[in-house]
Order: sequence, then C-alpha cells, then structure tokens
Amino acid sequence: MKTKLLSTVAPTVVAAMLLNSTTAFAAGYVNPNNLPTATPIKHIVVIFNENRSFDHYFATYPVAANPAGEIPFVSKPHTPTAANLKTAGLLTNNPNDTNAANGTGATNPFRLDRTQANTASQNHAYTPEQEAYDNGKMDLFPKFTGRGTAGGVGAFGTSGQVMGYFDGNTVTALWNYAQNFAMNDNAYTDSYGPSTPGALAVVAGQNNGAVNVLGTTSTIPDGQGGLTLINDTDPAFDVCSSKTSTLYMTGKNIGDLLNAAEISWGGFMGGFDLTRTNINNTTGCARSTFSSVTSGSTADYIPHHNWFMYYKSTSNPTHARPSSLQAVGHTLQPNGESLDPANHEYDLEDFYGAVLGGNYPAVSYIKLPAYQDGHAGYSDPLDEQEGTVQLINFLQQQPDWDSTLVILTYDDSDGWYDHLYAKPTWASYDPTADQVNGPGQCGTGVATQVQPNGVNGKPVNGRCGPGTRIPFIVISPFAKQNYISAKRITQSSVVRFIEDNWLNGQRLGGGSLDATSGLITDMLDFTQAPNNKLFLDPTAGTVTVSVP
Amino acid sequence: MNSRSLWLLGAGLLSMAGAASAVETQGLSGANPHPLHLVRPRTAPLSAMAQLGREIFSDASLSSSGALSCASCHSPEHHYGPPNDGPVMLGGRDLSQQGARAVPSLTYLERTPNFSIGPEQSDDDNIVPLAQMAALGQQSARAKKTASATAASAANIVPQGGLFWDGRADTLQSQALFPLLDPHEMDGGSIERVADKFRHAAYADRFTGLFGEGVFSNPKLLVAEAMFAVARYQFEDVSFHPYTSKYDYWLEGKARLSESELRGLQLFNDPEKANCGGCHLSNPTREGLPPLFTDHQYEALGVPRNGLLAQNRDSGFFDLGACGPARKDIAEQTQYCGMFVTPTLRNAANRHAFFHNGVFNSLQQVLDFYNFRDTNPDKVYPRAADGTVEKYDDLPAKYHANVDVSDPPFDRHPGETPAMTAQDEADIIAFLNTLTDGYQPEK
Repeated sequence: MKTKLLSTVAPTVVAAMLLNSTTAFAAGYVNPNNLPTATPIKHIVVIFNENRSFDHYFATYPVAANPAGEIPFVSKPHTPTAANLKTAGLLTNNPNDTNAANGTGATNPFRLDRTQANTASQNHAYTPEQEAYDNGKMDLFPKFTGRGTAGGVGAFGTSGQVMGYFDGNTVTALWNYAQNFAMNDNAYTDSYGPSTPGALAVVAGQNNGAVNVLGTTSTIPDGQGGLTLINDTDPAFDVCSSKTSTLYMTGKNIGDLLNAAEISWGGFMGGFDLTRTNINNTTGCARSTFSSVTSGSTADYIPHHNWFMYYKSTSNPTHARPSSLQAVGHTLQPNGESLDPANHEYDLEDFYGAVLGGNYPAVSYIKLPAYQDGHAGYSDPLDEQEGTVQLINFLQQQPDWDSTLVILTYDDSDGWYDHLYAKPTWASYDPTADQVNGPGQCGTGVATQVQPNGVNGKPVNGRCGPGTRIPFIVISPFAKQNYISAKRITQSSVVRFIEDNWLNGQRLGGGSLDATSGLITDMLDFTQAPNNKLFLDPTAGTVTVSVP
Repeated sequence: MNSRSLWLLGAGLLSMAGAASAVETQGLSGANPHPLHLVRPRTAPLSAMAQLGREIFSDASLSSSGALSCASCHSPEHHYGPPNDGPVMLGGRDLSQQGARAVPSLTYLERTPNFSIGPEQSDDDNIVPLAQMAALGQQSARAKKTASATAASAANIVPQGGLFWDGRADTLQSQALFPLLDPHEMDGGSIERVADKFRHAAYADRFTGLFGEGVFSNPKLLVAEAMFAVARYQFEDVSFHPYTSKYDYWLEGKARLSESELRGLQLFNDPEKANCGGCHLSNPTREGLPPLFTDHQYEALGVPRNGLLAQNRDSGFFDLGACGPARKDIAEQTQYCGMFVTPTLRNAANRHAFFHNGVFNSLQQVLDFYNFRDTNPDKVYPRAADGTVEKYDDLPAKYHANVDVSDPPFDRHPGETPAMTAQDEADIIAFLNTLTDGYQPEK
C-alpha cells in the first residue's frame, strides 16, 4: 500500500515527485551515486533508536515462547548462536537473583509479553549503570538501574523489571532482520550513560569539550579545566530546548568533514519542522502524537536526542526550513551561492520527500518521532517496530537500494539487564561519577591506564567505556545473510565507516574514538550476490510477500 | 448570536467544527448541529494475557472471606462500580469492615495520566522530583478553571493524574494490588499467600504458558504478572470503555437530546452557571477521542463529613486525600491536604455514593452542594451546639485555606444568589443521565 506511506508525508512530497530527476542535482551538487567510495555503498541510513540492551531484545534469540494465541516466531535453519542469556545459561540461577543486595527486586530474567510492550523506563545514568555492572559481575541491576518512571496507565512494572526481556513474539521485525541480514552481538555504547552521550558518540566519538550556556548541566569537570557530558542536557540555542539548562560541544563531528568534502548529508528527526500542525492540532515544539499502545501522547521532538544541534557548525537553532527539497542534504542552495537555511537539519518528512524526489543523501541520520523511538516509558517496541519497518520497507523500494546500507542501532541501553561486561578500554577516574571498578575507578588506575584524550589532546575524565551492550543490525544488499558478527564495535564505529568509505579514512582528531573503534565491515560482503529484500508488516513485524 | 449558539461556543463545539455561522437547529430537533467523528478504542479478541486477567478479576477465592473478588465491588452490571447504595463497601474476613472511601468506577481509566504536579513530563531521562514541582506550583499563577477556557487551566501546576482518589497508583497493575491486600477489603493476607492461591488455581497453567515455568518460584513476580493480567483485561475489554452513552451518540449526530437535556448541557458548560465543564471536560480531544469528563486535576471542595463512616467516630481523624493517610509520599505538601482527584462523570447517574467519603447518595444532593456551599452553607453542613454552621467540617481548620473558592460557582458569598435554580439543577441532572453507557442510538 504505497498510498499508505504517501498519506503520512507532507504535501510537498507530491510536488517533489513532479520534479524532473535531472534537476535534482542542479547547481553543481554531486549525485552521491557518482562519489568515489571505498565500498559499493553510496548511501548510509543510520536509524538511531532508543534505550534497549542486547539481551533485552535478544535474550532467547532465535527461540520465542510462542504462547497460544500469539503469532509464532519460527527461526530459520542454521541460525548461528548469539551471545545471549539462553546460550550463557543465565535465564536461571542468575546472579541478579542470588545477590541479596538486590533486595526485593532480586529476580531471574523473565519474559515480557507482547501485551507488556508498554513498560516503565529504567534508571540509565552514567553512574548507576556502572554500579549495576559491579566490576564485571553484572549482578546489581535491580538495585541500581531499577525503575525510572511508571510508563502509561496500562504499563507493566515490577521492582525487578530491569531483568525483563522481549522475544520474537514482540520484537518480531528485529528478529526477522537478524535472520535475513547481519547483526553484531559485541556492540557497545562508547561510554556508560543515557541518550545524549550516545548521540554524540555516533556522530563525533567524543563527549568531552562541553561548554555550559544556561544553568547547571549534567557534566563533570574533566580534570583539565574543561567539562565532559556524562548524562543528558539540552543543546544550547535550540528554540525547543530547556530554558534553564543547556550546553554546546566544541569538538568536531562527522558533518563537519562531510561539509568540507561537499558530500550530501542530513539529520532527519520526527517533529523537527515546527511549522507543521499534527492531526491533534499540536504544532511548534509541542507537536505530539497519541499512541494506542501507551494510551498517551508524547512530544515528537526531543532536543537532547539531536546529534548535530550541539555543534555550532551543524546546528539549526530555529529549525529553519530548507529552501526546497532539492536543497536537502546540501550546504548551499541550488543557486550555488546562498547558504541553505536548514544547515543539514531536517524533519523526517523531508527525508521521505527528498528521497522520493530523487535527492537521496549520501549520509542520513534518522530519529523517529518520539512515540516510535523505542524508549521505554513514553514509547514501546511495537510503536518502534511500526516506524522502523515503514522506513526500511520504503528504502528497499527505492532505485538506489542496491547501494544502500541501513544501520539500526541504539543510543543507550536504558539500564536494561545485559550479561556481557566490557572491561574498560577508555578509563575515567572521577571520584564520584565513576564506580564500575571501585569507588572513583573505571580502569586499572592512572599509573597503568591513562584516560582517553579530550578535545585539547590531554587525558580527561567522563568517558568510561565501552559502556553497555546494544543491538546493532545492518540491512543492505551487501549484508551477510543470517550472520552474527563477534567483532567488538561501538557507536563511533559508524563514524569510522563513513570516514573510511567516503573520506579516505580522514579522522576527526581531538580525542575522538573514531580512530580506535572497531570495523563494521565484518557484517558486510561486497562480493556476494546481493541479499534479497525483506518486506515486513509494520504492525506484526512478520514477513509479507507483497509490499505492505 | 442567539443563546443556543452561545452555549455551543461555551462547549467549544462551534470552534472545533471551525464554523462561525449561526446555528441552524430548530428548537425541538435536539440534534447536534455540528456532528463529529469519535475515535473509540479498537475492539479485538482478548489476548491470552487479558483472558487470564478476566479469570482473576472474578476469583473470590483470593479473598480471606472467600466471598469477595474484584467484581464484587467493581460490579460489571453497575459500570464496574459499587452494586449497592452504601457510601462504602464492606470487606475483611467477616465482611464487616468498612472500606476507607467510596468505590470508584473502573470505567474510563485507560487514558489516565501518571500522577504529577503540573502537566506530565514526557522526558523520562530527567525526572523532576514531586517536591520540586510542588514548590514551583506554589510560586506559579493558577488560571481560573472555567468551561470556556480549559486549555489555560490545563497548564496549572497542581496535582493531577494517578488512580484512586489520591493518585497513589500510577498504573492499573499497581492499583489492583491494593484492594487485594487491604485487610478491610479482599484481605488477601500477603504476597506469598496470594501467590500460593495462583499456583493452585484452576487457571494456573495460563501463567506458565505466558511467563515460563520459573514464574511460580518467584512470588513477587507472579503476583505482579497476575495484577498486570487484570490491568490488561481492563485495558483491552471494551466494556471498561465503551463510549456508548447518549451524549456520545449525540456528538456524532446519531441521537437527539431533549429540551431539558440540552438546557442541562448549556448550564454544564456555562461559567456563569454551573461551570461543571471547567473540571469535568465535555469536549472530545483534538484527536477525536471522546471526552472523559475529567481533567484529572485535584481539588479540595470541603464536602461535609460523613458520620456513617466508622473511622469518623474519632473526631480527630481526617481523610486528607493527597497528603494522607492512605497516600504517604507527599505528606509534607500540606497545601494539598483535602485534595482529591476529579472523577469522570460518565455513568455517575447510576451511582449512589458521591465524593471520596460517599457523603451524598443522589445527584440532587451533589448539585445542592455545588449550589449552596457558599451562598447557603446551612443547607449543606451541620450546625454546632451553639448554632454556628460547621463549614468544611471534614477538614481541620488549618487546611480550610486549601479549599477552592475561586473557580465558579465556588466564588460566591453568603447571601448571594445561588448559581442554579431548582429547574437548572433538574436540567443538569437530566444531562448527566445522558452520560450513561448502553444507549441504543436511533436507526
């Protein structure tokens, strides 16, 4: 039902479809299909969802409980084993159950049903996550990352809830993508902590170099006279941001490198266009959408999820609109002279419109409207599935699918239980904030393990990592089929891939982890016959024969 | 504009339809001149989880008396509210213990927001503590609550949301556990005892099918899952939120209201008259969801003390709602003492226990309270031995300042004309009767 997709995009899409595709690259814009790249990939789409750990979505993969009355999930033959709770034998006799320090929250991992998609959110701040990880024993999750907010009135909540996991009866689409494409079970956030450090990691590989603008912020002194952002704070100057607490970052991000090389790219977020009015008559920063799963409404745009707004060079504080769909992804307007007002920051609807109009950027970062971003509490796996599947179905129908790489990954784990500890590669010794290896300790000690460099080239605190293990799935004609990679990667591996593919391996510098992060290419095979497309039903997550 | 258009404007219906043209109804047709489409919850077969919840909901063996299930006090035949005329229900081991408060209906809770002070924060990453919001509320201006300007008062930094009269449970799951364990209600004894009953229930295998074999060895989790199943039953089963009242059909242009009912709707939404719509919202939401007849905000109305409640024989006992005694986490916010949540008015016409203490048993008494509380308090409150009227006798004197005296019709003074005439009250009651589910629309 292509019409269903079209009915959700802006009226400008219709105008876009009337564009002559040869004018889509006027004014010296280079068609990404003609850019020199290290691999056959000409378009990367990073779908950056919210707040789920690897075990929370893949604990028993590929085996689902399949209770009576639910759509069963049947795995393909020869599915490789994942490093999950099932294969680790941790579904029973789990240390989070036997460790009495967890008090009344002590419990083994347990299955969350599809009807329990709406749950409370967990506590996923920098320090509690480290405390839960307990020097690698991974046994204090109920104590430290137990419930945050309640979730909607119909939500499920219990004190040991952090030990809950979904299976293929709920995260059906993700399991189907894993079966038909490739995923990594050794992928981590660059540092512990919630959304904003994760957002900065996936575009800059660096959370040091913060400058406060309004009020106090979730930063810590980095030990070199600067600040590192370890939790969430809104970006400065964004008209939708908090009026009492904001900051900006002084390092560089991948957008700066792409701009210098005149490669088309954009950050596309639900709710970004403040001039639109939603069905429920909300507009501006207050645009919101009602979810029947959570039985509540939530604001579409969340400032502290906006990767590029934190950097002056790539920010769009007033949410200015692009001069046209042709200009989407480009620094200059089609006349080749004036700057395009949007500065590479757009609404998700602009992504659909630009791609349909033949203007498919080389690099696109996607954030679904909040009710679909997957964050426990105000969103949920079923709404997340709907938005994610719709987008991936759409991309597979485009003529340039044959050179596309979709990365589906997460900004943080929400503090949900995961059993695999990553010994710190990047140390940090803030006396209060760092706790994973002991009080004030992340790493083996300053004498034996110095902290990673900050933006000024000196060791800084606040970057304790790798942090929490997150799902990381690649969907592409070049993705290996039904493959699980065990190569260690982190969010900054996305930055590294973009640099290796389009920029001849140019690096950001300033202590960015792009230089040392792992490669995602183990999940890709550029010599294989192209992988088949996989169309899914957005509501059920099941495989459909025809395009839904 | 004629008076009929005036009340439609008050109800916000004209502005919603986007029409400023004069209303064309003839006096006797009673149809909504601007029908709209209401979005009702999708109906679907109950999930396995909800089916388990349905079993538990009517399982009286969970009570120590063996005679009380959820359905006993939340009667399906009485819109999931009390099945008799008493102010409270009786429970406990020998069914002689009074519940602390009137039993709320379980209908129309599926859109209740979490408890908060001020509008709900949707950013889960940075949670602002309640005490901090309460402090902000004390410094902030509070918009008057009138039926013609509900958007303004929606932003007031006041307590809102949550379940029970005091909002102490955010989810249907957590709410369900309280009556189960309350010694004056189902008196389930303990988590362990209740868990053991589930292990041996006729429907026990439904637990393992959904949650795995391990669920029976973890009593706390078992009971949490069971309460979630009950919540899921309420969430999915359409009988908990059918939106089949005459008023719903009138909104959609499928029913006509009588003259009295129409007058009642007008009075309901008139800030100069009853102004019920200031708190009991009567308009559909912007998404077309039917009105819930509550903005979920808390109010201290100072209703009279109910001498029929055993707990009130102790003259030093006061049920203070948001600040206690049942709710314990914001006891220090004494500006909220005496505040209780605004309930829905849907299906209220069939109730016989009104307000948290069930002090009134008819809509007539309720309307008399709103009408005379300030102009003729002697009609509402008892007199002391010396003849003085004991206004707000169910609230300690130090909290009398918490009572709402600014939102109409509570902004009147002794000796002033009451807001409603006897005919007005009768018309409003007629309108309230149109909010009862189960109406059969014409054609």
